[in-house]
Amino acid sequence: MATSTYLSNATVQINGVDVTDQVSAASIVRVIEALESTSFGKTARVYVGGLENSTLTLTMYNSFAASETYATLAALVGTSTTVTIKPTSAATSATNPISTLTGCYLETLPIVNAALGALDTIDITFTGGVYSVATS
Amino acid sequence: MIYTIASIRLGIIGDPYVPADGINVAALLSGGFIVEQSTPKPKKPAKTSTEPNEEI
Repeated sequence: MATSTYLSNATVQINGVDVTDQVSAASIVRVIEALESTSFGKTARVYVGGLENSTLTLTMYNSFAASETYATLAALVGTSTTVTIKPTSAATSATNPISTLTGCYLETLPIVNAALGALDTIDITFTGGVYSVATS
Repeated sequence: MIYTIASIRLGIIGDPYVPADGINVAALLSGGFIVEQSTPKPKKPAKTSTEPNEEI
């Protein structure tokens, strides 16, 4: 039977800082760039794997308080860092693997995303880095 | 350099912090998550009461 993992209790760390209580959505996508190697005589396009270019996108509640979202991210723009995400807060295991992007790059940081009567939320994307997964 | 944890988001406040590979330490310092632990300076030697070439 097919099952889905819902990130209702996922844990997220950015640069070693636990930001779980500031994140409302997370999406990690592993990407290996496709390099076309189709040659004469082929009847369909053929690809080989190129460089890895995975991404992690987070939706976060913005906060300028001490040790909160802005303090975590402000100095990371334009630099590389490490982010981790785990489906639940339980111990790391085969059914609760921890995914890590090491050396991923934060290109942009929305400072204010204000709307009347709504919480300030921002979407950030970490790009690149080396993807790894651990089960223990 | 020795660092100390200054935010519960990173661990127990006051514990020493050893950054893992790939961690941006400058960002942690800037955000106030860790602080540099000052190392004690070596004590200066006690001053002698007489000059080395002074006649007693």
